[in-house]
Amino acid sequence: MLAKRIQPMVSQARSLYVELMFQVMGRALQAVSEVDDAVKKETQALPAGFLFEMMVMPDGPRLIVEHTGLGRLHYHGDSAPRPVDLSIQFKHIAHAFLVLSFQEKTAVAFANDRMLVDGDISYAVRMTRILNRLESFILPRLIAERAVKEYPSDLHLPQKLISAVRIYLKVATNFVETVRA
Amino acid sequence: MTHKYYEFFCPVKVIAGKSALEHIPYELTGLAAKRPMIVTDKGVRAAGLLDPVIAACEESGLEIVTIYDDVPPDSSTTVVRDIAGIYRQEKCDSIIAVGGGSAIDTGKAVNILVSEGGDDIAKYSGAGVIKHPLKPFFVVPTTAGTGSEVTAVAVITDETKGVKLPFTSSFLLPNAAIIDPRMTLTLPPHITAATAMDAMTHAVEAFTCMAKNPLSDAYATAAVKKVSQSLLSVMDNPKDVDGRLEIAQASTMAGIAFSNSMVGLVHALGHATGAICHLPHGLCMSLYLPYVLEYNLETIREPLGDLLLPLEGPEVFSATPAARRAEASISALRKLRDQLHKRCQLPRTLKETGKVTEDQLDQIAEMALDDGAIMFNPKEVSLDDARAVLQRAWA
Ligand SMILES: [Fe+2]
Repeated sequence: MLAKRIQPMVSQARSLYVELMFQVMGRALQAVSEVDDAVKKETQALPAGFLFEMMVMPDGPRLIVEHTGLGRLHYHGDSAPRPVDLSIQFKHIAHAFLVLSFQEKTAVAFANDRMLVDGDISYAVRMTRILNRLESFILPRLIAERAVKEYPSDLHLPQKLISAVRIYLKVATNFVETVRA
Repeated sequence: MTHKYYEFFCPVKVIAGKSALEHIPYELTGLAAKRPMIVTDKGVRAAGLLDPVIAACEESGLEIVTIYDDVPPDSSTTVVRDIAGIYRQEKCDSIIAVGGGSAIDTGKAVNILVSEGGDDIAKYSGAGVIKHPLKPFFVVPTTAGTGSEVTAVAVITDETKGVKLPFTSSFLLPNAAIIDPRMTLTLPPHITAATAMDAMTHAVEAFTCMAKNPLSDAYATAAVKKVSQSLLSVMDNPKDVDGRLEIAQASTMAGIAFSNSMVGLVHALGHATGAICHLPHGLCMSLYLPYVLEYNLETIREPLGDLLLPLEGPEVFSATPAARRAEASISALRKLRDQLHKRCQLPRTLKETGKVTEDQLDQIAEMALDDGAIMFNPKEVSLDDARAVLQRAWA
């Protein structure tokens, strides 16, 4: 609790940022699974009804998506309808912040023991690839290169631009829908 | 790198060298264990490897209460449950696993059941499920390669569901690993070669993959040096006790290195090939190592170049311009593989194995892409990349 008194603003801002990024990623995952064939193909190998969670230990922000079948992902917000099948858990909010602010690549974070996998490793490998693809879609190339091991060579600018716009649009409408609901 | 961070953990007491087995009674007593059970397989028993272990204990008045010698090559949940039953019935209080990867993994899993209770090992599957220290557990490796004596992982097949259950917990680590050259003295040439190349691969991947760190680097380079210096002389003179001990230690050191820094694409491809074509793990490692290093080359040029020193020694290292060292390291490994092929026909290409067909390559590539090891490969691997590496390894 000492840290809270010393750095209340920093810690609160970090927590808010992680929460917001989880929301953006959740919506973007849903959107990208509707428009991108590579993501669809990766997702299809997951069982239908598969629940994926990304969370901050011990009980911090979380993001839950479900594979509803045919490669489509559905964003569930921060609560799961039933026990999740795969959980990627950041050991600390500071580690989540490093990754979600693109200062540390997802794969590096795994290598650096920043997070744990609870569930089938092969699914975790697949989800990491989906998250990498997502990041290269929704981020400007310069930042995306920092966030993923390798920038996909089949993501050419026009395609990226068009897709990114579509994803941003979808994310935006989804936000609006949430506000209305 | 600005956000460099690492963890390193190895609480296993290493007891290595001549007459190491004779230290078992003293070490067991130190943990208040009086009724040890041996877990092993038929091959180990038939090779007479249990005799020195039993003799070492009995001479100190420590009775081995019971011996289970029927661990299959792919251990299962039923086997684990049966052994735990015998352990309880005989009122044992400690486990000594004598053997290769399967006997060691079985020992780890039995230790979970007899320490945590119950008959259903599947319940403890996954990461971090076990929260307490387990019973005293010693490992005597009889193959120099897997490094299982220093890894916190066990894999057991659930026959009813047809899946492999992984168990990860630092409590699975044995209290002691006993490295005695007598245990590997009778290992046949092709197994000596394949398992030593597994150790070599552990060290090389630990040193070049994403989770490398200064402590595991030290173990990895030392292991590479020992395998490079001793493997061929052991192949030519299998009864070379000093050489055997060097390889056995290298295997443990490489195990410490990779369990703290992970492995990469060689293992991802090797796991897939093992599952689909039923080829021994060490053989797959030896086979894929140079092709994967060539694939990763531009990402790992610096660390791979540094490995030339332990691979070839100071003369070759200093005579090679820095810019050529990474390629020279790959050539050194290829040269070693050629020598092993000459001595025991250890295959260098998939075609040479005679057990893989070209139409299986796609299946291997797809499976490798789902392997956990691929996460730590320094260079991103797509399905097409994996296919290309396999194609080069074909012939
Ligand atoms: Fe291995």
